[in-house]
Amino acid sequence: MQTYLLHRVLAVLPVMLVVATVTFVLIHLAPGDPASIIAGPDATPENVARLRHQLGLDEPLPAQLFRWYGRLLRGDLGDSIFLRRPVTEAIVERLEPTLLLTSWATLIAVLIGVPAGIVSARYHNTAVDQSFMGLALIGLSIPNFLLGLLMILVFGVWLRWLPVAGYVSLDGGLWPNARSLLMPSVSLGLVQSALIARITRSSMLDVLREQYILASRAKGLAERAVVYKHALKNAIIPTLTVIGITFAILVGGAVVIETVFNIPGLGRLIISAVLRRDYPVIQGVVLIIAVTYTLINLAVDLVYLTLDPRIRYR
Amino acid sequence: MKRMFRRVCLGMVVLAVVAGSAAGSFAQETPRMGGVLKVASIGEPPTLDIAMSTATLVYEIMWHVNESLFTYDKAFNPVPLLAESWTLTDKGLRYTINLRKGVKFHNGKEMTSADVVPSLKRWGRVASVGRVLWKYVESVDAKDPYTVIISMKQPSSSLIYGLSEPHASIYPRESIEAAGEGQLKEFIGTGPFRFVEHRPDRHIKLARFKEYSARSEPANGFGGKRTAYFDEILFLTVPETAVRLAGVETGEYHHAMFIKQDSYERIKSVPTLESRIVKPRGWAVAVMNHKSPLMSQTKLRQAFQAALDMEPILVAGFGSRDFYRLDPGVFFPEQPWHSTASAKLYNQHDKDKARRLLKEGGYAGQTIRWVTTREYEFMYKNALVAKQQLEEVGMTIDMQVVDWATLNNRTEKPDLWEVFSTGFVFSADPANHVAFRCTFNGWWCNPEKERLLAELQGENDLKKRKAIIDRIQTVFYEDVGSVKLGDYFTLDVARRDLRGDFRTAPRLYFWNSWLAK
Repeated sequence: MQTYLLHRVLAVLPVMLVVATVTFVLIHLAPGDPASIIAGPDATPENVARLRHQLGLDEPLPAQLFRWYGRLLRGDLGDSIFLRRPVTEAIVERLEPTLLLTSWATLIAVLIGVPAGIVSARYHNTAVDQSFMGLALIGLSIPNFLLGLLMILVFGVWLRWLPVAGYVSLDGGLWPNARSLLMPSVSLGLVQSALIARITRSSMLDVLREQYILASRAKGLAERAVVYKHALKNAIIPTLTVIGITFAILVGGAVVIETVFNIPGLGRLIISAVLRRDYPVIQGVVLIIAVTYTLINLAVDLVYLTLDPRIRYR
Repeated sequence: MKRMFRRVCLGMVVLAVVAGSAAGSFAQETPRMGGVLKVASIGEPPTLDIAMSTATLVYEIMWHVNESLFTYDKAFNPVPLLAESWTLTDKGLRYTINLRKGVKFHNGKEMTSADVVPSLKRWGRVASVGRVLWKYVESVDAKDPYTVIISMKQPSSSLIYGLSEPHASIYPRESIEAAGEGQLKEFIGTGPFRFVEHRPDRHIKLARFKEYSARSEPANGFGGKRTAYFDEILFLTVPETAVRLAGVETGEYHHAMFIKQDSYERIKSVPTLESRIVKPRGWAVAVMNHKSPLMSQTKLRQAFQAALDMEPILVAGFGSRDFYRLDPGVFFPEQPWHSTASAKLYNQHDKDKARRLLKEGGYAGQTIRWVTTREYEFMYKNALVAKQQLEEVGMTIDMQVVDWATLNNRTEKPDLWEVFSTGFVFSADPANHVAFRCTFNGWWCNPEKERLLAELQGENDLKKRKAIIDRIQTVFYEDVGSVKLGDYFTLDVARRDLRGDFRTAPRLYFWNSWLAK
């Protein structure tokens, strides 16, 4: 068990090195640079060149890359060009809204998706199943930003129940914070719940056709016990993978929803960094997202261990 | 026109209030102190150091904090702001600028020439316009604590315009020393609001500066008396345009910048909202690359200019006629420098002439690379329609759609493009318009134009200046410096309870505005 863990954690390091290098090279290959963005559209070329020199962007690329490696080894992600502060600080500041949003959205997705999947599987090919799966299809097909904008129109502008956009941090109180995150997490969660429902349903269906289910029914177990105790535990593994991936995607990928609802999270940070070519921020955030992905994958694998003894003994 | 628009707006406000209340009296409203103004802005400014950037958003936020020696009145003529008065002697070679006494910085220190001299020197060193103008400046010295002398190498009528721009703001000497060659580290000024905090992607917070020393003359354009009625101003970053509008509608923001022009009708139908058309904002342009082998041929540029039919191009870009205007002027009709010289060369849509010019120029279907962007949707749409029109006369256009950062970078390199899309925003100084600048990407360095520009720099008589500008515009059209597509206006939205003269187009400011209760 411990060697397994150690092995998995150590495997993260080469992944990080590759991610770091590829990100660095890719964004420096993209045309455009922060100096001309800061200087503005009508700036004179000399002015842009002067700024470029000040920011150290006129050094050869390999020199910049190795300087960055050196910093990374010391745990320093560098300073943002636009935000005038260390990248680590900027990321930490954005973590709260992103993690809260992601957790709420995942919770909503699981609370809706898993039961819907189970019920659909249990009442396979009935009207219940078909209407759930129809809804799921609609859910999968609606882009989350559209759902978000529609909700803003209905609950923000027409009914005035919720603020149209903006984020209230936890310091501002639990309820205002939850209120500001309600619409964005629902619009993210609903779409993900459709995916989770479909996966849960299909793996439940597979399991329900297994012979041990037939056997447990034959020995007279109540249907509830068959479904929830025997079938679900085995069927949940693929769902768990999807939930894990969903969470990871949302941490770095709620870009559109964060923009629509004006939430100052990691997604907003990276998108504005890309548009402004804020190299240190892009590199930092991509690295952090890569670490998150790897860690969540690791966590999911560890949950497998507890759920499925076969993996444990291998 | 602007005044008429304001009257119409005021009229609508009056109507709404009369209709809405039994008392219905609104003739003389006294401004109210207090409240927090919330402004939804389009994004994060690239910097808060005004001198560093020509981006509009930077000074539209920060000129509440930092002030310059001069500013513009309603007619866009320079008038003193931190300066008390000025004289020009020695045949235009010596500016004597007297400073106002008792003007305090936000740190409590009084502003004197010891702050003004390093501020101006920094402007000449780092700001784009400052650097252009500094080549005319011999020296800048403090004669006494309240007098600054600028000695010129040669006369420049642009200098006073440059000093009226927010980029030439005055900072405490200590702030400038702390910044060194880089960006400012602290934001201290003399403005009616002081800088409180910047939380990226959330807000920039300003608060009323209680010891602000306002001018005594009545407000006139950006000049005259400035009063901070709000306790605080929050510039909130709201990148999504639909959300900016929805937020003003529900009252979460009082004002939102850059609303999509197609929301105009909807805004008119909501009684609590007021649309504000920013007129003039700028003109849409196809910039020609005078260093490329193709576009350096005059006939080809003339063919490009002759082929275009501007109306459909502008309709595609801006939708309704409320938001564009067909006008040949390099300067807007709202400015004293507006000219109709060579108007017949604007919006010709003469396909035969274009084909003839192409033939005379020996054009054989070589690809013309037109770089444009969707980040400013109008640029892409303008280019799309223009491309079709140009192809009808036989030109081959390769439209390259890239993001704004890439466009700026690519157009710095003359061998990568023939034409690019951009917008030239309002410029008060006729001698320093981007369209005429030889160093601007496009590199239009026509000797006749350069000679006329130099003449304009040395001329202070208004009538003679206007005559020179007419001639420059003629050269602009005959030699096709770049191709003007048309004037455009943008749409902002405000709640009706935001009162006062809070906008003199084309620049946004919130002193002398207040929130009615």
